[in-house]
Amino acid sequence: MLVMSRHAGETILIGDEIEIVIAQIGRRRVKVGIRAPRNVPIVAKEVKLVREQNVAATVPPSAEAISSLVARLQVPLACNFPKILSSRAEE
Amino acid sequence: MPVLVSKNFGQIPFKVESVIEFPAGLPGFDERRRFVPVRMPLNDPLVFLQSLEDPALCFVTLPLLAADPGYRLCMSEEDVELIGLEAGCRPQIGREVLGLAVVAIKEKGPTANLLAPIVVNLKNRRAVQAIAPGSEYSWEHPLLAAEAPKCS
Repeated sequence: MLVMSRHAGETILIGDEIEIVIAQIGRRRVKVGIRAPRNVPIVAKEVKLVREQNVAATVPPSAEAISSLVARLQVPLACNFPKILSSRAEE
Repeated sequence: MPVLVSKNFGQIPFKVESVIEFPAGLPGFDERRRFVPVRMPLNDPLVFLQSLEDPALCFVTLPLLAADPGYRLCMSEEDVELIGLEAGCRPQIGREVLGLAVVAIKEKGPTANLLAPIVVNLKNRRAVQAIAPGSEYSWEHPLLAAEAPKCS
């Protein structure tokens, strides 16, 4: 990985079309400005991971997979459910 | 009572007061805003988040504290405000908010996404999938301890 030191307000160019500006340096976070063509998707890496994880999670699991998970979960049964979780399906 | 249609569970009557709204959608499903949490007596503590807009879209979730009893919720300012909590508030699971972890059932075993829990404001039922800033939690936390090797 290429590592560069930059001060606030300085810029890095990636190719001819992408410009990264170090906009502000805080105590724990930096603000980064990005100028890029519209067709280049820009997203925080965690968001991409979460998106992929969400898509993987919507594959409907089999009834067997669900019941084996429930059977093997070691969960304190004192888990409190708030009122909004009252919709129940018939089984 | 209104009835929702779910591809997995058929028709489920639900209370309007139980509808959860994601003002910003969920990553990967930005257009899906309204969900109903559904529980089934045999499958507690799992909570199925069924989309009201897409009968085929349903997430399997687990209350955060069931996935990890010591879970420490950490939300960004933006997410706290998005669900209508006071800026600067550090919401507590069970007090201001409900926390659910999205479960993925994979070949290597079920995992829970602890990096990005679904956080619901209990007062107004607005919700967000909150990616904890700088969190050390995993997006694929194994739910079942590895099986002990069997002696032959």
